[in-house]
Parts: sequence; C-alpha cells; structure tokens
Amino acid sequence: MIFVTGPLYAGKGEYIRKALGLSDDEFRQQAVRDVQDLAEGDLCKLADSLAENRIVIATEIGGGIIPLDREERQHRERAGRLACLLAERADTVIRVCCGLPQLLKGQWPS
Amino acid sequence: MLTLIIGGAGSGKSAFAEALVCRLPGERIYLATMERESRESLARIEKHRAQRAGLGFQTVERCLNLADVPIPEGGNVLLEDLSNLLANETFLPEGRGTEAVREGLAALRQRSRHLTVVTNEIFSGGTAYAAETLRFIRELAMMNLELAGEADLAVELVCGIPNVLRGELPCLF
Repeated sequence: MIFVTGPLYAGKGEYIRKALGLSDDEFRQQAVRDVQDLAEGDLCKLADSLAENRIVIATEIGGGIIPLDREERQHRERAGRLACLLAERADTVIRVCCGLPQLLKGQWPS
Repeated sequence: MLTLIIGGAGSGKSAFAEALVCRLPGERIYLATMERESRESLARIEKHRAQRAGLGFQTVERCLNLADVPIPEGGNVLLEDLSNLLANETFLPEGRGTEAVREGLAALRQRSRHLTVVTNEIFSGGTAYAAETLRFIRELAMMNLELAGEADLAVELVCGIPNVLRGELPCLF
C-alpha cells in the first residue's frame, strides 16, 4: 500500500496518479481519499481494512491551533493516530507539499 | 544537549521523543506541564503515563514556573510540552507570560545534561483567529525558532515518521 499525506489541496492525488501512470478511472478504483474523515471507532481495524487498497490518501489536519470544541479536538487526534497506523502498514509513505513529493518510507513508486 | 521535537495532533511526537530519551544514559525525568483541569486532560495524562510505563521515567508535574522545578542535576529531561506550558503561562491567572517560559527553559538547559522539548505544529490552520490567539501562535513560533536554532537535533514528526530538520538521528532510528 502507498500512503500519501500532506496539507489540504497540496496535489496529493494528482501526484500519485501521475507517478503510477493511472487513468482517472483506474485511480478512482485503486485509491481511497480523505481517510482523515473516517477516523472513528477502532482505528487499528480501520487501518487494516484501508491498507487493503493500493493507494490511501489522507489530508493532514492536525496542524492548526488546538480547537476549542472537544469533538473537533478529539477528531484531529484520531485522524493523526490513523495516519500513524496507516504509515506503519504502508510499504511506501509519501508526503506531498505544493505538488512536490517527499519520500518518508520505502521506495519511490515506478 | 538540546533536542526539539515538533509535530501536529496525533503525529506520534510523544512516543518518538520518549524513545529518543530512553536511549540516553542516566536519569530520565518526564516534566509534564498539563493542568489537571478536566476529564479530558486527565485522560490524556493517563494515556501518556501508560505510554511511558516501564521506560524508566521519573515524572514531575508542573504547569507553571519551571525555573525552580526540583529536578536532579545532570538528568535527561523530557519537557512535554512547550505549547502547553506557554498556554498556561499566558492564559492562567497565575501565569507570568513568555518571560516565565524563557526563564524555565534556560534553567532546564542549565541543569539537565540533555533537554528534549516537545512542541506543537499549530501554524498551518490559517490566520482567522482572535488577536490574542494570533499573539500566542506567534510567541510559540518564536520560541520554536529560537530552540531549533540552538538545538543539536530538530525533528518533525509526520504520521509517526521522523523528518530530520537539523542534526542527525542516533542510529537505530
């Protein structure tokens, strides 16, 4: 599994789609996006099942000031935890900033 | 020696900082700054306590005035965390502001053999905040910059993976 993370609108999906030479349709079939929104319940189980996809993409949402709202605060924490669990399970971890990839784990996709 | 660990919420910075400090020889002191003010913070304190159980840390809790915190000379101190400490000194009625944080850091650096500071990445959530909040963000940013500028090792945690900004990780990481 290739895990791609980075800030909002950083070009994560487009980078990995092009890097793997996928058509839009192929990309839609092989990638699951915005998994930060799914961070509820048993995160280990969730990470296990997400890791069955070829490509998993998460937007980093833990970087702003700590929200006053408790649920929002805890959701950010869970989203971060989920990203750690996905990174553990991934063969390759890439962070994309301004469309530019940085390899954090594994090999560059070819 | 000075190490700075930065990361966003749930980025794995605490676990990584603990693992780093565990590799240092000598006494390990965990300096916790979180106030026991709510059930949520108690739960967080408990989570962190469980995470470092068995790692040989002596825990010292102090949410203000770190300058006179009783820690043994020459130990390895893990300060968790700077943003929390700055928030306490800024927003608690007994707080003395940024000056108190700087005094505390200076004292810790003097007294410890190796100081590891955990801090938060709170700078990429936009700028639509009240003036007071923006001031807090800027103060923390300035402290992060100062510490990173003097640190032997500065590491950003990204989904549990260390991204070295300065210096070199000890091998095995």
